[in-house]
Amino acid sequence: MTSDSSRGQVVVRLDDVHREYAGTSALSGVSMQIRAGEAVAVMGPSGCGKSTLLNMIAGLDRPTGGTIAVHDEDLGRLGETGLALFRRRRIGMIFQFFNLLDDLPALDNVALAAQLTGVPSRRARTRALELLDELGVAKLKDSYPGTLSGGERQRVAVARALMNRPDLLLADEPTGALDSRSGEQVMDLLVALHQTGQTLLIVTHDSRLATRCASRLIEMADGRVVRETTPEPVA
Amino acid sequence: MSGRGGRSTGWGAVWRASRAAVRRRRPQTVVIGLVVLCSSTTVLLALTLLGSASAPFDRAFAAQRGAHAVAVFDPTRTSGAALAQTGQRPGVEAAAGPFDQAVVEISEDWNGQPAGARTVVGRADPAGPVDRLDLRLGRWVTAPGEIVVNLGHQGTPRPELLGSTVEVDGAPPLRLVGFASSMTKSADAWVVPEQMPALRPTAVQMLYRFRASDTEAQVDAGLAEATAGLAEGSLTNVQSYLALKQAFSAQADSYLPLMMVFGVLGLVVSVLIIGNVVSGAVVSGYRHIGVLKAIGFTPNQVVAVYLAMVAVPGTVGCLLGTLLGSLLASPVLQMAFSGVETGSAAIGPRPWAPVACLLGMPAVVVVTALIPALRAHWLPAAQAISAGSAPRAGRGLRVQRRLSNTRLPRPVVLGLAQPFTRPGRAVMTVAAIVLGVTAVTLTTGLTSTMVAFGAAGRVDGAARIQVEVGSTANRRTAPKLTDSQIDELLRGLPGADRVTARALLQVRLVGYPQARFVNFYRGDTSAAAAQMVAGHLPEGPGEVVAGPSFLRQHGLAVGDRITLDVHGRQVPATIVGETVSGNPRAVDSNWSTLQLLGPDTQAVDYTVTLAPGADAKAYLDAVRTADPGLHPALLGSGNTVTTTVVGFASVFTVLLTIVAALGVFNTVLLTVRERRRDLGMLKSIGMTPRQVVVMTVTSVAALGVVGGLSGIPLGIVAHRLIVDNVAVVAFPESMKDVWHPPQLALLALAGVVIAVLGALVPARSAARLPIARVLHHE
Repeated sequence: MTSDSSRGQVVVRLDDVHREYAGTSALSGVSMQIRAGEAVAVMGPSGCGKSTLLNMIAGLDRPTGGTIAVHDEDLGRLGETGLALFRRRRIGMIFQFFNLLDDLPALDNVALAAQLTGVPSRRARTRALELLDELGVAKLKDSYPGTLSGGERQRVAVARALMNRPDLLLADEPTGALDSRSGEQVMDLLVALHQTGQTLLIVTHDSRLATRCASRLIEMADGRVVRETTPEPVA
Repeated sequence: MSGRGGRSTGWGAVWRASRAAVRRRRPQTVVIGLVVLCSSTTVLLALTLLGSASAPFDRAFAAQRGAHAVAVFDPTRTSGAALAQTGQRPGVEAAAGPFDQAVVEISEDWNGQPAGARTVVGRADPAGPVDRLDLRLGRWVTAPGEIVVNLGHQGTPRPELLGSTVEVDGAPPLRLVGFASSMTKSADAWVVPEQMPALRPTAVQMLYRFRASDTEAQVDAGLAEATAGLAEGSLTNVQSYLALKQAFSAQADSYLPLMMVFGVLGLVVSVLIIGNVVSGAVVSGYRHIGVLKAIGFTPNQVVAVYLAMVAVPGTVGCLLGTLLGSLLASPVLQMAFSGVETGSAAIGPRPWAPVACLLGMPAVVVVTALIPALRAHWLPAAQAISAGSAPRAGRGLRVQRRLSNTRLPRPVVLGLAQPFTRPGRAVMTVAAIVLGVTAVTLTTGLTSTMVAFGAAGRVDGAARIQVEVGSTANRRTAPKLTDSQIDELLRGLPGADRVTARALLQVRLVGYPQARFVNFYRGDTSAAAAQMVAGHLPEGPGEVVAGPSFLRQHGLAVGDRITLDVHGRQVPATIVGETVSGNPRAVDSNWSTLQLLGPDTQAVDYTVTLAPGADAKAYLDAVRTADPGLHPALLGSGNTVTTTVVGFASVFTVLLTIVAALGVFNTVLLTVRERRRDLGMLKSIGMTPRQVVVMTVTSVAALGVVGGLSGIPLGIVAHRLIVDNVAVVAFPESMKDVWHPPQLALLALAGVVIAVLGALVPARSAARLPIARVLHHE
């Protein structure tokens, strides 16, 4: 989470990033910056490279050219273990299809992220329960993901993403698999997070989500950034 | 990096993720546990038998400080002082002697043993630096007129015989004061040295332990060094402990090839199945791996999750398998060593075997799991999390298109193409089926061979009755009838078809220190003829035949000559044939040879083969009524070796078949899990549950056919290896050639049966998948 003193610092910097898959270019010379406290929405048609961009920033994938730095840490210089540790400390991720661990109940799914950083189990579970409570799903703490609705799963996933108080929250189509009511609730959640100073990068098709949650819009096409705008505040 | 989020943290989370995965993947967890359980049991039984084959001898031999060589000298060519000096030579670690040695004749059956020659040694002390005797009952000899008898190793000392008199030809009677056992088998009995002149000793015995004694060459070298400088011809006979050791483990040795083949099969199948299960878990868990990595698990931690996922059921399976194997070990050893001379050695499972199993099997599991788990290490997180499952090869689709041009039903086409989408998994599944079929083929062959061996010389449907002649030696009423009258009676009773009489003599085999036995047969020889592997049955006087154990232990072969000695009456004999099996301490001959060695000897028992369909009970009653001194009993239809070998083979085959079927079960389970969406889609467009079952079973039945056809030749080769290396039985070619087309056709089906058995349960669960939930979930 961003403090007042760090607000405005560059959190993410991409310089001429390229990514090719078997001769096909997914990203072609993308450069951008995201500052602390910003909520950036990346939009564009399917296959334009939005999710690839998100994976690069999360350290889930590596560019074939260019550099990516998060908090001045060059991800290209980190090994697989270094990237894993980086994700633990810096990143929270929300996926379109939630990607919760089916084997664990909601509370353990959330607490696991903190336990990875060495937080004792009891403390991790206490904080996880607080988060689930804040997100309105505390009563589902013992339920397995398979038994939850899409909206409930996404709230649990948001709680997991926030567990380690990440510098950067990445959301990949967070409302893409939800019905409109659940989608609204998740949007409210993201807006609220932004208002508390959480730096956000949202990849979405949903222009309503983008304009409502983001302070800056980046439009992509064919692996390139084609436009950056500031959305009109939603009335 | 350390501290919050550092490298060293988060292992609690790893354990939590692993535990949850173990709990939620119950079928796979159970499969791994069962596979390791069956494999651990198989491996432990094999290790136990391997370890027990010679270790008890070594332990007991070391405890008694057994002699590496028993050397017999001619006292007319060397002196006691010169022999005592031999114990001081550099290669000799310890020596005992010289002891006077005599061969005496005991004229009457005694303590259940027939009359004959006995080697008696004069020894003042049962202890000493070499060959410390185990005094099992009574006391050691302290004065002339007393004797201590070497108890046959299997024998139980009979307290009531203490104080009885042993009549020795040409010498004063000796009073029995104790029973002792010698692992060295240095004598049949001992007296005090002062008693020896009365027994007219003809030789002097020296007992040696050498510094180097692991091989026959080392024993020979040690003896040569010890006896260097003695007059030529003074050393008349030598017995190496290695021959005793070989005799000790001969029967267990006969099972070793079998145990080793099954042990190796068990291990290979386990490795294959575990590899298959873990690689399947990795492939089907791509999304799971991606999520773990996305939330900050390091690659090593992901590998740890997958290893722990396998190690938990693997360890539980190993513990239970080791426990089960330990419980089975004692009865298995009892079966394997029944009838084997074990001396004072305790036959029991060796403690290192379960320890080796407990350490080794989890290590095998983890190493096997490590290879596929490393795929999880290298898998790019983004690819994993977006793919949901492993990328598919296009081969399956190509095969499917080609098969579509045939008239095969669509579910069969889809099923046949299925293995090509995951060729690695298909190969491992085929390998498991191959090994299962190999085990089934091997057992079928062994059973056929052993049944042929057990039935050799028997007439189908004909009962066989053994009539034992009562005597004071076996503490039964003696018959009123003479040998010829008994023979006539048995032939004349209703139902009798063939009668064979057997007499038994204990003999001395000139050149060998221990007493041996000769069975003399009279009458019908058809059963004996069926047991011949080489040469022919004894036809004239001075002809004998022997089993492979006797020939091997005495270094003899068909055509060699030996000299039999009873009461000083020596008869040269030629080994004219080899029987399929036989007592390692006995040879067989005919009645005309008996006339040369002991013309007054009577038959000890008769074997009567009844005509097919004859009433065995009526015959038994008639014999008992005719003479209460005759003790008839119906002979069983099997024999120990047949029962043991078939028993072992069946136990291992059941275990291996279960493991192979579990391998198939796991493959199908994984495939169904991976293809939930496809199956949901196929059902949504109209595929019936029955068609789903057909498609799923077909996908492994094809592998079963391939596995069946490949496993049969391997099983035939394994069968040949075993029957050629069973030390105590020399099977004739007719008993080894047991393969026939109908039987082979049935064996080819074994692969399909294993595959279908393994596939049926997951196939039915695939058929019951709820379409809406599957499609929604995916």
